[in-house]
Amino acid sequence: MLYKRRWPLLIFLVPGLLFMFIFLYVPFIENIKNSFYDMTAIVEMPGTKWKFIGLRNYRKLITDPDVGTALFNSLKMMVLTILFEVGIAFILAVLVSQVKKLQQLFRTLYFFPVVISATALGLLFKLFYNYNGGMLNQILEYFGKEPVNWLSTELAFTMICIPTLWSYIGFYFVILLTGLSDISDDLYEAAAIDGCNRFKQVFYITLPMMKPVFFTSVTLAVTGALKVFDLPWVMVPNGAPQGVTHFLGTYMYQTTFSLSNFDYGSTLAILIVVLGIVVSRMMRFLTKDRKGGE
Amino acid sequence: MKGKVLSLLLAAAMAASLLAGCGSAKTDEGSEAASSAETEAAAEGEAGTEAAAEAEAGKNPVTLKTVSMFGGTDPNAGVYQAINQEFMGEYEYITIEDNSQSSDEDWKASVAADFSVGNEPDVIQYFADATANTVLATDKFVTLDEIQAEYPEYAQDTLEAALEAVTNPDGVRRAVPTTGYWEGLFCNKDLFDEYDLELPADWDSLVTAIDTFKENGIIPIACSLNNVPHYWVEYFLLYAAGEADYITTPGEAPESWVKGLETFKTLRDMGAFPEDTDTVDNDYTGQLFINKQAAMQLDGSWFAGSIEDTDNTVVIAFPGLEDQKAQAGAMVGGISSGFYITKKAWEDPDKREAAVRFVEAHTSKEAVQRYWEATGAISKAAVEVDSIDGMTPLALSALDYTNGATSICAPTDSRLGQEPYAVIISNIVKISTGSASADDVLNEALELYAQRSE
Repeated sequence: MLYKRRWPLLIFLVPGLLFMFIFLYVPFIENIKNSFYDMTAIVEMPGTKWKFIGLRNYRKLITDPDVGTALFNSLKMMVLTILFEVGIAFILAVLVSQVKKLQQLFRTLYFFPVVISATALGLLFKLFYNYNGGMLNQILEYFGKEPVNWLSTELAFTMICIPTLWSYIGFYFVILLTGLSDISDDLYEAAAIDGCNRFKQVFYITLPMMKPVFFTSVTLAVTGALKVFDLPWVMVPNGAPQGVTHFLGTYMYQTTFSLSNFDYGSTLAILIVVLGIVVSRMMRFLTKDRKGGE
Repeated sequence: MKGKVLSLLLAAAMAASLLAGCGSAKTDEGSEAASSAETEAAAEGEAGTEAAAEAEAGKNPVTLKTVSMFGGTDPNAGVYQAINQEFMGEYEYITIEDNSQSSDEDWKASVAADFSVGNEPDVIQYFADATANTVLATDKFVTLDEIQAEYPEYAQDTLEAALEAVTNPDGVRRAVPTTGYWEGLFCNKDLFDEYDLELPADWDSLVTAIDTFKENGIIPIACSLNNVPHYWVEYFLLYAAGEADYITTPGEAPESWVKGLETFKTLRDMGAFPEDTDTVDNDYTGQLFINKQAAMQLDGSWFAGSIEDTDNTVVIAFPGLEDQKAQAGAMVGGISSGFYITKKAWEDPDKREAAVRFVEAHTSKEAVQRYWEATGAISKAAVEVDSIDGMTPLALSALDYTNGATSICAPTDSRLGQEPYAVIISNIVKISTGSASADDVLNEALELYAQRSE
């Protein structure tokens, strides 16, 4: 026990708690309440009264095809983040950890996209994909090919996923590289003496030793996938084309701020929070035993 | 023991930093107050006799909180700011705290929030149509009659028709407008000449133009269906339904309205819109038109300000539809916004006159003339404006177009309101591909309108 009297700690904890309460928990409770009313404006204007509509928004949630698309896309994004963000980040981390010279340069280069704002990245990729004069179509034109509509209904989701996934690889790369550096060199040396080549070392030493770091990365990636919003919104607002690139975040934003359907937007926000809790609990359950009975 | 010493040291450091923070804040406040007093003293010195005269006249210093839609890239923004500066020069006891922005949905939401919590400005330039209903419900605006009872010269330059146009949906006049707008078909005439095409005057000639441009690799119509299909929605509804049915909000979707919106599919199937119309935004399609990659663009009078080649660009009436019910030359336009004075300013004896003078400064004949000229002298002015010399061919074509208009109707959103209208707009891409039925979309919007009207 470091401190005998705990009350001074409260002085430092209460401001943060109050901040969370006022700016997070109160609005969230208000949000739950709003989902049961027919909101005619973003705030209840003096002289107006919102009508209680019960579970109407929740019934609409079940039948709304756009919710289905957004949910499916968000789930697909979760899988893709594990495969590509964490997967590629791991491969890069293993390769870079083997390099003694220029390791710092690689770290900086791979981490760089993380510090660029999603808006800037979105605009950049939008320029790449433009049908008229976009970079990709200029290259095609140079080789005498017909221009391609990179954001057509068939290609749009893939083209959105590329920058979304790419921009965060560096984040997991740094986490995994730090995990790799924690593995003692003695283990590798002992394995090498026993005749284990580099490839086998990755499988028999690196992977098992990295499990806790992996599970942390996967949990972050999966919950992060639920929050995907800014990059797709900049590149293809309103789930364009034809709503096929909607994620839960973009659909909630469109419903609330473009369509001014504030109560249904509140319902979608609740869905996102519930899904976030469910997914994080699932991840905790799946990684519990493997983390050593955590 | 070690822990205790550590915690004691940490607590001491934090307490010291807090005290230091307080001390420095005090010093800052002190120095700020001193410097502000110095600045005020200097300003007073510079103002000299004029300020003294104001003080003698018994005017207390007034800070006027103002909000307008003349922000961002709006061509009126420069004139608005210039008038504010001149106003503060003329009335030295008045300081303007202005918060003008482009009128997007976020801005409308923040205005509504300000009005609901009692944080409304003293003067606001805002919509007068159904868009304003939410804010009007708070009953925080002063009526024109009340103002004119005390200040008979208020809005004296404004035309009666213009004041009528900005009458609120409840039939009460509160706003004083500056300029209005119209929506028309901008055409790159040089492209039409290059392919020996007549400017479209009816549906058939429009179809011919679309086919010809398509064959020659020119985008026939610059339009982003995902972002701003509004102008096409309006003209399709107007021409399919006719003026009388267009300005009447029905209970259920009329066949003519459905037919009007289905024209989106017809045009899409013809390849009239850009290949990426579902994903690009309005700025991008506007650029396609300006760069001569597209031949036509249906837009508002404000679009004229961004056109560089004013010699080879013209604006004409909407060509029309098959079996149209509106007469040729029917136009969508009007005056939809104006300056309001809030009760907050009106009930403050110091602010009342300042607010009145501020609105007069922006709505006088001279001010409106400047606004009118800033938008290329082609918008609809709320006062009698003096024609200017050296009008561009684009401005002249706009003048011909507006003079030849056989009828002028305000757009649908001014009657339906924001939320029901957004239902239509958000479904245009789906209607154009056939994945949503125009009938269902219109009925959903009209049902919502009925709910909101209850």
